[in-house]
Amino acid sequence: MAIPVPVEPNSLIEEYRHGFHESEDHYAFKSGKGLTREIVERISAMKSEPAWMTAFRLRGLALFEKKPMPDWGDTALLNEIDFADIHYFVRSTDHQGLSWDDVPPEIKRTFDRLGIPEAERKFLSGVSAQYESEVVYHSVREDLAREGVIFCDMDTALREHPEIVQKYLSTVIPIGDNKFAALNSAVWSGGSFVYVPPGVEVKTPLQAYFRINTENMGQFERTLIIADKGSKVHYIEGCTAPKFSTASLHSAVVELIALEGASIRYTTIQNWYRNIFNLVTKRAVAYKNATVEWVDGNIGSRLTMKYPAIYLMGEGARGEILSMAFAGEGQHQDAGAKVIHVAPHTTSVVTNKAVSAHGGKTTYRGLVEVHAGAIGAKTRVKCDALIMDAQSSSDTKPTMRVDEQRSTVEHEASVSKIGEEQLFYAMSRGLSEADATALIVNGFFDFFVKELPMEYAVELNRLVKLEMEGSVG
Amino acid sequence: MAQHLVARVEDVPPGTTKRVQIAERPPILLCNVKGTVYAIEDVCTHDGGALDQGELEDCTIMCPRHGAFFDVRTGAALTLPAVTPVRTFSVHIENGEIRLET
Repeated sequence: MAIPVPVEPNSLIEEYRHGFHESEDHYAFKSGKGLTREIVERISAMKSEPAWMTAFRLRGLALFEKKPMPDWGDTALLNEIDFADIHYFVRSTDHQGLSWDDVPPEIKRTFDRLGIPEAERKFLSGVSAQYESEVVYHSVREDLAREGVIFCDMDTALREHPEIVQKYLSTVIPIGDNKFAALNSAVWSGGSFVYVPPGVEVKTPLQAYFRINTENMGQFERTLIIADKGSKVHYIEGCTAPKFSTASLHSAVVELIALEGASIRYTTIQNWYRNIFNLVTKRAVAYKNATVEWVDGNIGSRLTMKYPAIYLMGEGARGEILSMAFAGEGQHQDAGAKVIHVAPHTTSVVTNKAVSAHGGKTTYRGLVEVHAGAIGAKTRVKCDALIMDAQSSSDTKPTMRVDEQRSTVEHEASVSKIGEEQLFYAMSRGLSEADATALIVNGFFDFFVKELPMEYAVELNRLVKLEMEGSVG
Repeated sequence: MAQHLVARVEDVPPGTTKRVQIAERPPILLCNVKGTVYAIEDVCTHDGGALDQGELEDCTIMCPRHGAFFDVRTGAALTLPAVTPVRTFSVHIENGEIRLET
C-alpha cells in the first residue's frame, strides 16, 4: 500500500549551483524593453541580414501581435508574462571567439564554471556556447569540417550558407505555427545550424550550451539540423540561468530534418533557474527509413511548455521520444510528445516519466496520429508519474487519432505515490530516508539516464538526489 | 462535370480571396494571384478549419491557425503541420463570370 509521504514546509534545500550572475557593464548592445517594429528592424540591421530575412522577421512580428495567447495549459502562469518588460536582444560581445582565449573573461568564467571547455576536450565533436542573444564561442573538430559537416551558429549559417538555410528554414515549424514560434521568428538570434553531408557519421556528439545572464531577458535561439541521406548525428544542448527575482523568457524554435536513411538524436537537459518561462517549439520530420530521437530532460524553469514532435513522412521511418520531468516547488512541467504517422510501416515509441514534489505540478500532454494509408504503422506510448507528497500533482492528457485500421496503437499510463514498502526495504538495508527516496526516484528515471553521455548521467543523478533531500519528513 | 457560377471577377480583386459555396458542398476559396483566379477547398488539411482568414501572398496561402502554407495553384502543402494537399477546382472565366467545375 502506498501512503502520502509528509513534507516539511520550505524544505527545498537545493543550492542551484548555476545561479551566479556576471556583470553586464561591458556589453556591446542591449535593446530597450518591449517589442516594436524598430527593434525588429534594428536586430536585422545589426546582423546585416538579407532583405528576405527582414521581411520574415516582420511577418513574425505581425503574426505574434495578431495571435492570441494559448487558451489551454497553465493560463494563469502564462498570463504572468509581461511582453513589454523584456529585453529582446542583448549582444554581450562584438565578436565570436574561435579559440577559448578570445572569449571575454567574464563570459569565459561563466562557461569555465559550467565545465564547457573540459567537456569539449573530453568527448565532443564540436561546441557552441550562446551567452544572451548570440553565440560567443564556437569550435568544430577539423576532421569533421573536412568531411563537409557544417556546425555553426544560425547567424553565421545565414551569411555563409544562405541557400541551405532558405531551403529548409521554417518548413517544419512555419512562422505562424503558434504565438511563440511567431515571436521567435521576429526576434530570433543565435541557435545552432548543423548540416551533415550524405553518408557521413558524426561519431561523438555536437554540443551547444545556452546561458541567460540578464534579468528580464528573452532568449530566442533558432536551431536547424539537417541530416542528409544516410548520415548520422547526435546533438546535445544544456541550458542554465542566474537566480533573479523577476522572470525571463526562453522561447526557442528547433527544426530537425532527417532525409532518407538518416539518423538524428537530439538531447536536451533543461536546467533553467526557476524563474524562467520555457516555451519552446520542437519538431522533426523523418523521411524514408530515417530515424529521429528526442531525449528531453526537464528539471528547471518555472513553467515549461514543450512537446517535441516527429512527423514520420516516409515509409519505414522511426521515431522515439524519451522524456523526463521533475517539478519542484512553484514549478509546472507541462511537457509531452507528438508523433504523426503519415507513411506506411512507420514505428514510434514514446516514454515519459514525471516526478512532482514540494507542491510541483507535472502534465503529460501527448498526441499520436495515424493517417489513413499508414498501413502497418506501430506506436507505443508509456507514461508514468510519481507523486511525492500530498501538495504535488500530475495530469496525463493523451490524445490519439487513428484513421488507419491496419495499424497498432498501444497506450499505457500509471500514476503512483512512492511506496512505503520500497522505502522501508531500502532503509532496512541501512539507507537514510532521503537516500532511499533518491535511490527510488533515480531508479524511476533510470531509463532516461542510461541514454545520456556519462557526464550528463552523473549530473542528472546528482540533481535528483539534491531535489529529494528534505522531501521526506 | 457541372459548371457553377460562383462570383464575378470584380468580387475577387488581385491579392484577395473570397469564400463561395456550391449547394451542400464544403466551402470553396477563390484566390486571385496577380489576375489569375484559382479555387481550392476552404479546408486546412491539418485541422479541418477554414483558410479564408489566412494571408494570401503571391501564390501561397497561410492557414490562420497553425501557419501551414499551401500553394493555391496546385493545392500542395508546402510546410508542416499540414502534410496532405488541399483539393483544387478548375476555374473558367467568361464575360467576367467565375465558374467552377465540380
